[in-house]
Amino acid sequence: MDLRRFLDLYIAETQEHLRTLGRTLLELESGSTDAVAEAFRSAHTIKGLSAAMGYVDVAQLAHRLEDTLDQVRNGSLKPDAVLIDRLLRQADELDHAVTNAVANVTPQLDGGTTSPAAAAASRPTAELPPDVILPAGTSRIGVVRLREDAPIKSARALLIIRSLADVTGYLGAHPHTFADDYDGVLHLFFAGADESAVEEMVRRAGDVESVMFHAADETRTVAKTAAELRSALRATRKARTVRVDENRLDGVQESLGELSILQNRLRTQGGARNGQAAVVDRMRTLLSELQLEVLTMRMVPLSETFARLPRVVRDAARAAGREVDFVMQGDEIELDRSILNELGDPLIHMLRNAVDHGIEPADERAAAGKPRRGQLVLRAERERNSVRVVLEDDGRGVNRARVVEKAIAAGLIPPGSATNPGDEEIFRLLSHPGFSTADEVTELSGRGVGLDAVVSKVRALGGAVEMHSLEGAGTTFMIRLPISLALAQALRVRVAGEDYAIPLTHLSEAIELSDNVQRDGDREQVRLRDGMLPLVRLRRMLQADTSVREGAAVIAEMGDRRAALAVDELVGREQILVKNFDPAVGTLPFFSGATLLDDGRPALVLDPLSVM
Amino acid sequence: MAKTVLICDDALFMRTMLADILKGAGFDVVGEAQTGAEAVTRYRELKPDLVTMDIVMPDMGGIDAVRAIMKDDPQARILMCSAMGQQALVIEAIQAGARDFVVKPFQPSRVLEAVQRVMG
Repeated sequence: MDLRRFLDLYIAETQEHLRTLGRTLLELESGSTDAVAEAFRSAHTIKGLSAAMGYVDVAQLAHRLEDTLDQVRNGSLKPDAVLIDRLLRQADELDHAVTNAVANVTPQLDGGTTSPAAAAASRPTAELPPDVILPAGTSRIGVVRLREDAPIKSARALLIIRSLADVTGYLGAHPHTFADDYDGVLHLFFAGADESAVEEMVRRAGDVESVMFHAADETRTVAKTAAELRSALRATRKARTVRVDENRLDGVQESLGELSILQNRLRTQGGARNGQAAVVDRMRTLLSELQLEVLTMRMVPLSETFARLPRVVRDAARAAGREVDFVMQGDEIELDRSILNELGDPLIHMLRNAVDHGIEPADERAAAGKPRRGQLVLRAERERNSVRVVLEDDGRGVNRARVVEKAIAAGLIPPGSATNPGDEEIFRLLSHPGFSTADEVTELSGRGVGLDAVVSKVRALGGAVEMHSLEGAGTTFMIRLPISLALAQALRVRVAGEDYAIPLTHLSEAIELSDNVQRDGDREQVRLRDGMLPLVRLRRMLQADTSVREGAAVIAEMGDRRAALAVDELVGREQILVKNFDPAVGTLPFFSGATLLDDGRPALVLDPLSVM
Repeated sequence: MAKTVLICDDALFMRTMLADILKGAGFDVVGEAQTGAEAVTRYRELKPDLVTMDIVMPDMGGIDAVRAIMKDDPQARILMCSAMGQQALVIEAIQAGARDFVVKPFQPSRVLEAVQRVMG
């Protein structure tokens, strides 16, 4: 919204209120009590008008004056001559500031009051204070987090509480009265309720960042008997929540994973034969519940990492002299903390890159018929078993000819290569270690971590990066990540007598191999429905006997690229617990980790993208 | 038919800005008031679908005006317009029956979100 057309109105109204101020301050000296209220209102209005115009300095001066007048109003300051002097001086300063602002400052909307970094640092915890006793019958607790930038969080929380008044099963909230420093976390207590309906109602009240439900700790509910009361009292004496070192959570998760594998072994090795089937089944259910519980404990919303990014973009844009609007979407989506922890640096690198090399200077954009301000969108989406993080800019796009030129100069591709290769080839070149298209190393990017580091980091997390770029129109990066590092759904395949696990994240389907394979010189292709896919024989990759014909293939996909990986046999689908390892020197580069299979045998985890 | 709105604020600047935002969202601004007392009278006359109410106004403040309007018409949809630091007053207004609030300086998108919640 262009505020310049409000400028005349602003000047007229502030002038009038400045005159009122001058008059009422003098009346105040002659002992009028009505004058204080009137002066206060004028200062207050000037503050509001100036803040609306983005004149921060004026608003601050008005606020100071308003403060002093408030103290006069409530009797804690006496309006003697010295004070009136001070007030008049402040009013003069205010007058000058208004003139100055009107002459020199471009009006702009500015709703942000704290830097995202500062906001993230002071992020409130979602823990229910240990001394809160839950209403009788509480079985579920909804934790509502208000957005960091929500104004007057207490009033918003009150609106949420009010909107739930008629909900069946709603028992109460903590807090229900609000202190000035209320941090924006609200705990709602339910004796069972339609949680998705509740979430919708809560979100409808506005400014809600997240709503999460968890089971109530029953020892904290209001006691119905004396014995319960005693134990509840005992319970309140000690804290009911504990902070856990992340490593210990890892430890629990690993042990659980191994336990679950042992349980599977028990099941496959005759537990059922000995009439223990029911016990083994029960064990399996409990173990899955436990695993899910631990996984949930490890999940954190993307906002934990996203929160500091607007500042990164702002700083990068200032340093590079770019005008950028940065939008983030989907930061409520949750990921395993260990993945999220690793995601920050690659994202920061990519954002800086986008500002530095993607978004053009405003004049260049205007000349190209684009809006002067560049658009940078960071968006997260849930996708089957993964999360997709998309970074989109409307900048100049990748200069393909230049990339090719540089790649030839660096000896990455032979001279005379096509000057307009596809996105994938370009991306492969760009993410080659040491490749840089920047003509000079800027302060922001182009040195240190490169795109190659981003790609290898994401790959190490079991994810993949794709790029699409249109010259003159912008570049889009897509990062696909697993939701959890440790636990994965995998397909177990057999190649040359060994079993391997392939995570399902990058597999689309499995097919049989028979007469659908075509040979074309050195290359083999397999027919899938109406198209042909390159066939990669794992026997060859794993340096096994290739005279044996494979019986099946799995289809791996990354973006538009697909390939069929030939295996001897499909064994089945399993949930595996992946242990990452640093590949020893000399090992084949296709493995991302190791796991124990259902029958207790160790197996390597194959990264399908590495063989494509 | 377009929804009607009564805008109550002692500053012409704020009234103009709000009118601008609300007209853009298809509202018909049927009236404006500069004091709390005027807001109450105008509400009785106009029965608007929505009221935006400033907190600090001469004559009668916004919160007393909310109380008076809610007494007349418990279904009234009132959106409070507050400045930073008026936390306690906003809570008072909500307890008096205001449906939602926005904080100055106004961001049009925020105002429209709040209006949508009040009307929804």
